[in-house]
Amino acid sequence: MTKIWEVYKSGIWIEPFLKLSIILFAAVSFTLYLLIIRSRSRNIRNERLHLEYSVLIERLISSIIFQDINFSVITEDKEYSRLSKTTFFREVAMESIINLHKNYQGIHAQKIEEFYKGSGLIKDSYKKLKSLRWEVKCKGITELTEMNVNDAFGSIVTISRSRNKTLKITALNACIRLSGTESIMYLSEHPYPIDDWTQINIISAFKIHDLGDTKGVELLLESQNTTVVELGLKIIKELKLTQKIPYIVQLAANAPTALIKYEAQSILEELTL
Amino acid sequence: MAYLNNEITGFLAIYLLLVLAYAILIMSSYLILAYLSTTELKEYLKKNSFIDYSVLLTSESAPSLSLIAPAYNEGFTIQENVKSLLSLNYNNYQVIVVNDGSKDNSMEILIKTYDLVLTNLEVHSKIETKKIKGLYTSRNAAYKKLIVVDKENGGKADALNVGLNIAQNRYIVCIDVDCILDKDSLLKLAKPFLESYGKRVIATGGVVRIANQCVIKNGRLVEVNIPDLMLPRIQVLEYLRAFLLGRMAWGKLDALLLISGAFGAFDKEIALLSGGYSTKTVGEDMELVVRMRRYMIENKISYTVSYIPDPLCWTEAPEDFKIFKKQRSRWMRGTIETLHLHRRMFLNPKYKLLGMLSIPYWTLFEFLAPAIEFIGLVITILFVICGVLNWHFFLLLLLFVYFFAVLFSVIALYSEERTYHKYPKQADFLKLLLAAFIEPLYFHPLTVYASLIGYKEKIMGTKGWGEMTRKGFTKKP
Repeated sequence: MTKIWEVYKSGIWIEPFLKLSIILFAAVSFTLYLLIIRSRSRNIRNERLHLEYSVLIERLISSIIFQDINFSVITEDKEYSRLSKTTFFREVAMESIINLHKNYQGIHAQKIEEFYKGSGLIKDSYKKLKSLRWEVKCKGITELTEMNVNDAFGSIVTISRSRNKTLKITALNACIRLSGTESIMYLSEHPYPIDDWTQINIISAFKIHDLGDTKGVELLLESQNTTVVELGLKIIKELKLTQKIPYIVQLAANAPTALIKYEAQSILEELTL
Repeated sequence: MAYLNNEITGFLAIYLLLVLAYAILIMSSYLILAYLSTTELKEYLKKNSFIDYSVLLTSESAPSLSLIAPAYNEGFTIQENVKSLLSLNYNNYQVIVVNDGSKDNSMEILIKTYDLVLTNLEVHSKIETKKIKGLYTSRNAAYKKLIVVDKENGGKADALNVGLNIAQNRYIVCIDVDCILDKDSLLKLAKPFLESYGKRVIATGGVVRIANQCVIKNGRLVEVNIPDLMLPRIQVLEYLRAFLLGRMAWGKLDALLLISGAFGAFDKEIALLSGGYSTKTVGEDMELVVRMRRYMIENKISYTVSYIPDPLCWTEAPEDFKIFKKQRSRWMRGTIETLHLHRRMFLNPKYKLLGMLSIPYWTLFEFLAPAIEFIGLVITILFVICGVLNWHFFLLLLLFVYFFAVLFSVIALYSEERTYHKYPKQADFLKLLLAAFIEPLYFHPLTVYASLIGYKEKIMGTKGWGEMTRKGFTKKP
């Protein structure tokens, strides 16, 4: 201790310490400045490329949708075949066809789905499901769901048991969209608590995908997971499923918690008014 | 004489050691907080890209909110500001405007614009406040969300307490009536209340940014600009540093002490049980958060405070030094008052991270920092007078502090660039970069001076906010 104090008191360390720190601070600041410049330039470049690629992709998709041009003809397009090998082009292509798919229905939507499969973009989506990064998995799920790839249901169900909340919500919503009421069975067996935000998302998925018949919602009321029971009650309440009243009566009589009993009773009152 | 020289040298060595230790502690704490903030921010943005906030718009389970907007002499802008509050993207909410005894024509404007009539709404006063002169609702169905309270002047905290007494919904959102809110701000603010399973979310707050020289259209921000004037410009940078590199980290540690009074949401029941806003302090926003947290810990209720890094609220920063000095001295008084009121928490393990980290951090680096800097300045002057100052080391020390301040600002700019990218114009970025170099020489001494005024006002027993005049935003026709 005395030695350290003597070294400190001698002051020989001050100058090198200060000089080194100053150089370090200045160097890191300059590096960050360069990184900002690089990031801004990259953004400008990507925005330009995004615009160019979007125009090309929309032209190709339009020819498929409205001129009945076969995908094999598209692959002969020199520009397309050159660009389709680049990652950024494929990302923009994916984004564009998903946006277009949202705006079309029926035969037009099917043609876009065919392009998705034919162009190999579907493989990219499947590859994303296997990623270790949850956000990449989410992206893959969103793409497969938008393109109505029902075969992905099994893999997505497995992912829905993830501990990551965002991934779980995305996967559960995808299950509901892809398989409708079949997904209820999986929901009823969900092992982890489902918070209110996730519940709202699931209810919204039921509403958006017009699953008004909701066969099997009563299964949720029998779940061992009390948050799943709460979810079942909320779905019945928000979708006004009066046909499920007998199941609520049963639940109110044998509710696992006082809160669920109270909720069941108040929903009964609301539905029978 | 030699003995005296030894004594002086020893004293100088100890003094310099303490100063250096303090500087290294403050710098490393800033860097640690910045690191925690950026990692958390990255994670938040990843999550956010998959979130569909619109589900809250159609859900019956969306939290019900009561917006409380205290207004004092806001006649110039109140009509448009209330309109923008009524047109937010959310379904389940009411707006309570509390006219805190304005001396201007705010009340007349509100009555005329919103077709208000006196109502007999019963108020159960759980918190004592100044007398309510009248409660108004609109005859026009389009404004059915609006309640206007006319009351005797009692200050911002008193006006907020009136709002708390009147609020009919489960959560209250306290806002400055002159702030510009992002249209989805309520959706984002409400979401955390639904998220925490097994823990009660007692408060949520978002990022506040500077709107000087930005373009506003119909109560919404349509164009982001960086102010030409240096004082508000550096405040843009200062807010970036505070919100992007500071509060996000405290949020991650669940040790956030302050939710900005400009825009924050609270669990009404807990706010009432904690006693509402304190009228004894001018830092009522920070004091309420501390008291609510304290209430939860003392009653052993599991809880959390959530922080949203999205820029949800845009406010006007003072453009001249006189107003700036008033604002900053008030902030310092608020800090002193809050820390004093809750001094029991200081280094008290019962309050966990709050007592062992947040409160000591605020005490050391927010409350004491200006005093320590001032003492340092006085001692330096004494050294110069006595001729014992080593100019070489002094300059090195100055450069050391200067380059750290620049580095920290550049980190904030980098973080902003890689996340929200709200300043895409090249000229704006260069303006901010220039501000980073000027800040330690121009802005920082001003804040220290204003804080010292805050100490003085506290010692002299000054109370209240003082007049805060605002210039108003640039509006697009």
